[in-house]
Amino acid sequence: MTSPFAPLRGQLLSAAEALADGPAALPEILAGIVDDVDHALREPLEIFPVCHHSPASALAMLRRLREKQPKVIYLELCEDLQPLLSELHNCRLPVALQAFASELMDFPKESAPLSVIAPITEASAEYQAISYALDTPGVSLVLVDRSTDHVFQWQPDPSSPAETPEPEEDLHGDAVGVEIGDLRPRFAELEEHLLHHGQVRHWSEWWDQYVEQPLAGADHETYRQVMTMIGSLFRRLAPHDSKRYASDEDRERYMWTRIREHLAATGADPADCLYICGAFHAASRLAEVGSAPGTPDFEITPRTGTTWLYGLIPSSHSAIEAQFGLAPGSVSIAAATWQKQLGRLRLTPFQLDGQKGGKKKAKRALPPPSVTTGPVTDHLTGYLAGPPTLDGLDEEELRGWCVDIVRLARRNGYLASTADAIAVFETSVLLAGMRGRTRPTPYDFQDAAVTCIEKDTVPGRRDVKRLCEILLGGDRIGQVGYDALPPLARDVYDRLAPLGLNLEQRSIQRALLDLAARPELAPCSQLLWMLRYLLPDQAVRPIMGSRKLGEKHIQESWDLDLGRHQRTIIELGYEGVTVEQVLEQRLRRDAWDPKATAASALKAVEHSMLFLESPRLTEELGARAVELLSAERTVDDAPAVLRRIRRLLGHYRATTPVLPSWCERFVTGGYAHYCTLLPTTFVDEETGVRQVGAMLGFLFGMESLALSLGCDRTQLEIAVRQSHPESPAKVALLWAARHQLGDLPLADLRLRVDELLGNPLVVPAVPQYVSGFVQALEPVPRLAPFVVETISKAFGRLPDPVLLPWLPTLITTLRQQAAELVPVLTREAGRTFPGTLAAIDSWTPPWLARRPATATATGARQPSGGPAGTLLAAHPASTDAVAELLGCPGEWAPAVAVPASGRSALLTAFPATADAVAALVSA
Amino acid sequence: MSDMLRAPAEVKFAEELDWLESVDDSPKPFSWRLSPKMVRLFILGSERADGLDREISQKWFGDRSFVERAIVTLASDRGLLLIGDPGTGKSWLAELLSAAISRNSTLVVQGTAGTTEDHIKYSWNVSMVIAKGQSRASMIPSPIMTAMENGVIGRFEELTRSTSDVQDALISILSEKYVSIPELEDDNIVFAKPGFSIIATANSRDRGVNDLSSALKRRFNFVRIPVVTNKKSEAEIVRFRTEELLRRHNIELEVPPTLLDVLLQSFADLRAASASATSDDERLESALSTAEQIGVLEDAILHSNFFGASQLTAEALAGSLVGSLARRSPEDLAILNKYWHGVVEPRSKEQSGAWSGFLEGGRQAIATLS
Repeated sequence: MTSPFAPLRGQLLSAAEALADGPAALPEILAGIVDDVDHALREPLEIFPVCHHSPASALAMLRRLREKQPKVIYLELCEDLQPLLSELHNCRLPVALQAFASELMDFPKESAPLSVIAPITEASAEYQAISYALDTPGVSLVLVDRSTDHVFQWQPDPSSPAETPEPEEDLHGDAVGVEIGDLRPRFAELEEHLLHHGQVRHWSEWWDQYVEQPLAGADHETYRQVMTMIGSLFRRLAPHDSKRYASDEDRERYMWTRIREHLAATGADPADCLYICGAFHAASRLAEVGSAPGTPDFEITPRTGTTWLYGLIPSSHSAIEAQFGLAPGSVSIAAATWQKQLGRLRLTPFQLDGQKGGKKKAKRALPPPSVTTGPVTDHLTGYLAGPPTLDGLDEEELRGWCVDIVRLARRNGYLASTADAIAVFETSVLLAGMRGRTRPTPYDFQDAAVTCIEKDTVPGRRDVKRLCEILLGGDRIGQVGYDALPPLARDVYDRLAPLGLNLEQRSIQRALLDLAARPELAPCSQLLWMLRYLLPDQAVRPIMGSRKLGEKHIQESWDLDLGRHQRTIIELGYEGVTVEQVLEQRLRRDAWDPKATAASALKAVEHSMLFLESPRLTEELGARAVELLSAERTVDDAPAVLRRIRRLLGHYRATTPVLPSWCERFVTGGYAHYCTLLPTTFVDEETGVRQVGAMLGFLFGMESLALSLGCDRTQLEIAVRQSHPESPAKVALLWAARHQLGDLPLADLRLRVDELLGNPLVVPAVPQYVSGFVQALEPVPRLAPFVVETISKAFGRLPDPVLLPWLPTLITTLRQQAAELVPVLTREAGRTFPGTLAAIDSWTPPWLARRPATATATGARQPSGGPAGTLLAAHPASTDAVAELLGCPGEWAPAVAVPASGRSALLTAFPATADAVAALVSA
Repeated sequence: MSDMLRAPAEVKFAEELDWLESVDDSPKPFSWRLSPKMVRLFILGSERADGLDREISQKWFGDRSFVERAIVTLASDRGLLLIGDPGTGKSWLAELLSAAISRNSTLVVQGTAGTTEDHIKYSWNVSMVIAKGQSRASMIPSPIMTAMENGVIGRFEELTRSTSDVQDALISILSEKYVSIPELEDDNIVFAKPGFSIIATANSRDRGVNDLSSALKRRFNFVRIPVVTNKKSEAEIVRFRTEELLRRHNIELEVPPTLLDVLLQSFADLRAASASATSDDERLESALSTAEQIGVLEDAILHSNFFGASQLTAEALAGSLVGSLARRSPEDLAILNKYWHGVVEPRSKEQSGAWSGFLEGGRQAIATLS
């Protein structure tokens, strides 16, 4: 049987001969692409080649479905996604089908969670097929591509490139994308060459100009032959030794094996079936390809034990573009072209019943199928011989764009005027002319608009390029309908219903909860706090109100942005059935994480008390905290541990009659643990002063409780005695500890500080001592007056070269630990220093005032009592001699014994005053 | 060889332009000497697919859409403002455009703080005015006015360096397309002939010095020329300019291709470092543009040539790079020192070859300057 393509084949071969200096493989490639088309057309099961996001494919599909009305449709899409398709009618497109696995088996654990998404847009051939198949009785739709599990089995490295995308582009998270009809040159040089000679900037534009537009109105045969030919060309030019190529071939084997299985099982006639696949796969010549019985089958490996969960997540045009490396705006432009072509060709697209968004059209019964199966004729020569037949200049459309872009630009802060609209129009036409086309493409228009409107700065949030994208289609963001949501997400929406807000709207909703007036809103508040913990920051944000142990609010206000974070809620749904369950899992996971510390376990305890009110869980987490604390060998987290346990103990004391047992164990365990570690941490250079301070804080703060629970104070005393720190800050801390233990009186402490300040060799280290004392406020709060005194002295007496470099450190320390230290310090300082300006003049620091007034040189000093005083008083000569030697003239006055008490005693001792008063009175 | 130190593009490529004009049969706007497509071909060079009998060399390297947008702007009634960092080839593109369109790229006004309105419109030959009074004969037209009279492209370099009131003199020229000379009683208006337009260049680093008024902005289409970061095209540019330099100086010096790679890589590294720096002190003062790279190479070539080496060495290149980029002491030197020890040294250990010489030369140069 002669092929209808024989003349074309001959023609191409002679062309290959003419280019004799071309590569040797040229004749094979040129003849091969014709043979591939011929081969594909001979297949009794009709293969329908498609390309992703191609309106031409969608149009051809729409027309073919109406004509042929197949009974079975095989679709190149992961087979395990099939149950999701029926949920599509609850959603507003674009949405993505998602398969998600967090508990992996036979995959490397570190690659969890695995996620695969397949986005579905309205302007796609696959959506037309899905809608037709689901809404037409008696038609079955069979997904035949490898399962999502195989996607990862066949992909050695599941990590996807990590970039930080725009919020709209991040709708898919870091999932692996699968798409029907990926058709793009597989090596960069070919693509570059095509772009260069097509005088276009990116692939979508080339495709639009050379394939989309010529095929938009083409008949089925031309469409099918041309698409298969392009698929074949790219296939033949793809590097055949790549992993990707091998995986593509395996997929073809897989799909055909599944098709044959289905045909055999159902006995369907291949003539009533339609196989929709990417053009790349349509041109396959593998031995396993074909519907004929007896074709060798592909051995399908079993799936791994990984449990896959399925759901729909919202998607958007920009997310699809970002995921599949398409030019920004290309999917939007494809959607706009689809709508335009539908109008022009007066076609009614298939749409799922009850589909949200899109135009509602009355459903009409399909006309009877009108398939004419004539002999295959050559439609390729016509396509290849002529230049692409492009639409003529649509002046009306271009003018509309120009006016709209200027309006949009003005609204976005540009100084654009009608003159700019005219200039954009002119420039678009000139640019298109220069690039060899009569009709400016959307991309020419975009270039022209940027040239004429964009100046040196972008006044608003969006530049002209982005505005053009918005104008030419605009990003569309899909939404998953309530019924298609996982139980957890539905539960969230149900439980938040009393708020009376439209949570599906993609904008921030302000929720005001007056809990005093409407106590029924309390569960909503509780749920919001849980979501706050589980979802990313922007999803739910409290504006007023906080949740802390022991606090109860009467009013709260929230900013809810659940519409834009639908994906995260849906993905939460893969973890459990209710928010509480997920939260419990997360808390457990945090506490039992290999890197968990006592502080993080205490945090989990606190959260469990705040959000879950489950004493059993709290008890378990608390026990875990005890376990973690005793296993810890460092005290890096001591400040956090102290803060948290203090708060928890305070809460329990206020609310429960007895402490829970884990708390008691934590305190006694912690007391022993920290006592043991104290000597080493005092010496260890890597342990900071703050950590040691916090340890001491724990030991002194919990002391009474620990002692009542059976701990021994000697343990602490010995530990302190064993500590021999070297760094000045820790020495100061140790002094404070000893003072607390009653080992070092305040007077001695003061003396030591004075010595430090008086010794010029130690002065440079004084700031460190002071820092140590500041940290000592935590364990020994009653030292506050002394710390204020020390700081004041340091400020007063330290030389500037020592003082000034230290000040910033002091300030930053105080700032960082503001919550713990500053209130104590400022309160004490406020008590010490005068509050008014006038009081300053007469103010004497209390530490100076406390000392006995210094006697003047001539004045008689009160001798201290005791035997020494008596002795000196008895023999004044020696004292006088010493005084003279020291340059203090005067006579030693024998002590006047001041009786212990009474005004009269005073008057007796100093009679002069009384005498003077008496004289005054008598006079 | 031309006896000009640097011939303008229309002289340098006169033969190419003549030939293109002879084969150009597409419609030409106004009084253009070449059609827009041919202008693009002249600037971006020809390919086999263009089906020409001879090869046209590529003269400006960058995204073709910039060139297309620039040409189309000149065919409309707006002026063209090329804006970008120093050394991105704005002036070169402007020169090529005016050479291709009107065969005259020398009608240039250089914008400076001292530019006055006279430089843009006209001034008077004072002695002639005293002798014969004010007339067209005693008037000295500015390059812009000459361009208007001849219907060709006038150029305004560094537009934003001149003060705002001077810039605004362009507003009426660009919208009314005439200049009136009130001093004369008759024949006192110079009308622009078709084909007149203005290509201005502005340095984006000068933004804020003399901002363009909105009225003037409206009359210009802005084409922003980015710094070339594509390694392949940058290599092309450097190679093209170096060859030109070698030819101009009649230098016979071998430039090993590995050295070009070293140069490109080191600039790419330094650019990456600049981009991630948080303060100006951690950033080299230089813009690290392609022109700067050419400058470094040129300096190294001249140095090697005149001080007796037959081949450009990595040491000479490193010395020239340090010499050109170390402008502020100690900030720039510190950055270069860090680069040399943090990046060049490990690389020379890994790859040896030219990098070892580069390391040595750079170290010496830094030591000399420190």
